[in-house]
Amino acid sequence: MAWFDDLLFTYQNLAVALGVNGLLALSMYVVLAVGQLSLGQAAFMGLGAYSSALMSLQLGWPFWAVLPLSCVVPVLFALAVGGPTLRLNGVYLAIATIGLGEVLRGVYLNVDVLGGAMGLSGIPEAAPLWLIYAMLALAVLVLWQVGKSGIGRAMEAMRLDETAALSMGVNIRRYRLATLCASAVLAGLAGALSAHSTDFIGPNDFGFEPAVTILSFALLGGIGSPFAPVLGAWLLTLLPEVLRPLADVRLVMNGAVIVVAVLFLPRGLLAWRMPRHVRPGRAA
Amino acid sequence: MLKRRTLAAAALAALLLPMAASAADPVPLGAVEVLTGPTAAYGTAAKAGLDLALEAINGKGVLGGRKLSLTVEDSAGTKDGAINAMRKLIGRDKVVALIGPTLSNEMFAAGPVANARGIPTIGTSTTANGITDIGPFIFRTAMPEADVIPVTMRKAAARGAKTIALMYANDDAFSKSGFEVMQKAAATAGLQIVATESFASKDTDFSAQLTKIKALKPDAIGISALVEPVSGVLLQARQLGFGAETQFVGGNGSNSPKLAAIAGAAAEGMLVGSPWFVAKPDAANQAFVAAFQSKYGKAPDQFAAQAYDTLFILAEAIDRAGEADPAKIRDALTKTEHTGALGPFRFGENRSPAATEGVVVLELHDGAFRIAP
Repeated sequence: MAWFDDLLFTYQNLAVALGVNGLLALSMYVVLAVGQLSLGQAAFMGLGAYSSALMSLQLGWPFWAVLPLSCVVPVLFALAVGGPTLRLNGVYLAIATIGLGEVLRGVYLNVDVLGGAMGLSGIPEAAPLWLIYAMLALAVLVLWQVGKSGIGRAMEAMRLDETAALSMGVNIRRYRLATLCASAVLAGLAGALSAHSTDFIGPNDFGFEPAVTILSFALLGGIGSPFAPVLGAWLLTLLPEVLRPLADVRLVMNGAVIVVAVLFLPRGLLAWRMPRHVRPGRAA
Repeated sequence: MLKRRTLAAAALAALLLPMAASAADPVPLGAVEVLTGPTAAYGTAAKAGLDLALEAINGKGVLGGRKLSLTVEDSAGTKDGAINAMRKLIGRDKVVALIGPTLSNEMFAAGPVANARGIPTIGTSTTANGITDIGPFIFRTAMPEADVIPVTMRKAAARGAKTIALMYANDDAFSKSGFEVMQKAAATAGLQIVATESFASKDTDFSAQLTKIKALKPDAIGISALVEPVSGVLLQARQLGFGAETQFVGGNGSNSPKLAAIAGAAAEGMLVGSPWFVAKPDAANQAFVAAFQSKYGKAPDQFAAQAYDTLFILAEAIDRAGEADPAKIRDALTKTEHTGALGPFRFGENRSPAATEGVVVLELHDGAFRIAP
């Protein structure tokens, strides 16, 4: 089965990227689901990646202990910054969260134990492929169940009309903070899994550009259901590799596909919304 | 059902299995370069150098007439792009040796993949510290700053400098490690360091640092930073009255045509070390420059020269190895000696360039670099 080994070897990194980017797309999805344009996912991912890498490299902890702990730092960070930033809305929130990402990048660059601009290398490749996909499947399942529940209805109400949701008794502040924390958990997991499957992380992996890429996953896929952003992430991750034979015009084609998708499918590739029962006795 | 599945598997296998290598087949080599994105200039220059070298080498072939087939893949300047490209070259194209990736960060991410698989990989433009520490299959023909700056410092000392002040950007890894190299190199060259001042890469006002340095009257000032802040320091130094009696010394960040473009006359006389220079008079370099000119209609740069020489070094190693086997090529690389556009070259103990004879010290004169007299 030498050819199969070669096939696996060739596309191993792509398979990892599909799983990790799927988690990142979900991390974006949970904040977009309550109508918050919060772009801190790359920063959360960086915190997960750096904290897990340090636990592995400096403390030598086993991966099964590192993985759950890698969500702790991003969540603490989300709780700390959630208070002030969640008073903001729309582009102001977007700018503030991008700023936080840049602050963290400055920290990674200047703190010696974090490796500075050289990043951290020699991280053990401890994350098996099945674990990445198990995490992704679990995340989709949980978000699907939450989306179908009353919480999901409240979230959708917030997205469509915040004032109306407030008047219906939805605790908007609490929902915002909770979704930010959920976003931090998902991105932190993605960061730890990615750091433990590529050997090396650097400050620029978690700056402005990845933040925008993660947003584009969710925008391309749509936010009607948890499947949509994952589909968007997979398409955007696969496209550059599928188009590799085109050589020079590869990125042009990549861009063209995205532009066409956005122009003709403004609600995302998967505009379909998750089904909800209308309870008897209530008007839909 | 079973039959159909077996058939499908067989068809897939036939698709993926390369035909058994015969003695007349070309030797498969791969290169990973940045061909798209903001850093594409470095990768496309390297690719031009590789293509030129490939034509010349395939004129007579290696291993008694076999041609080289070079597949160049784009990394788009990203970590994932470099890893994907490298895995594709190793897994699908079955390359026996690799050149690249272009950027040091890409090498840190993708190098371990090739090293674990035992495919010799040669970086042509990766100057950062620790590149070859990735593993025994990782080489580089790029000269690290730690080898270039000492030559520049010796030149400054030979011109009569006894004391030096150092300035550096403390928010940039390249600038900071360059400063550490300068510190050591100045001491080794017998220069006394009278002051050390730092600034941030985006600063525009350096008058406080320069005024302090001016009072100490050093013979030379070493600056480790990217070209924009270096130009800013030079412009302000001239305003504060530093004249031709002060020798300015720069690192690789100053080795850029942008220095003269931004700083103009203020950069006159600045010394910069470089692994290569377009007007280097030796025959091998002039032949390379002429061949590049006639193929592409423009002058080559440092990245093209490094890539050009590297493919020749690799071809010689394949001949020395006697067969297209990655492990044998690796061992042969450590023994290969080559004289090309960069001057005489061989790999040292740590698989980085062994000698610094190829380093030229350049001086900015009338808005262009020339070999420092």
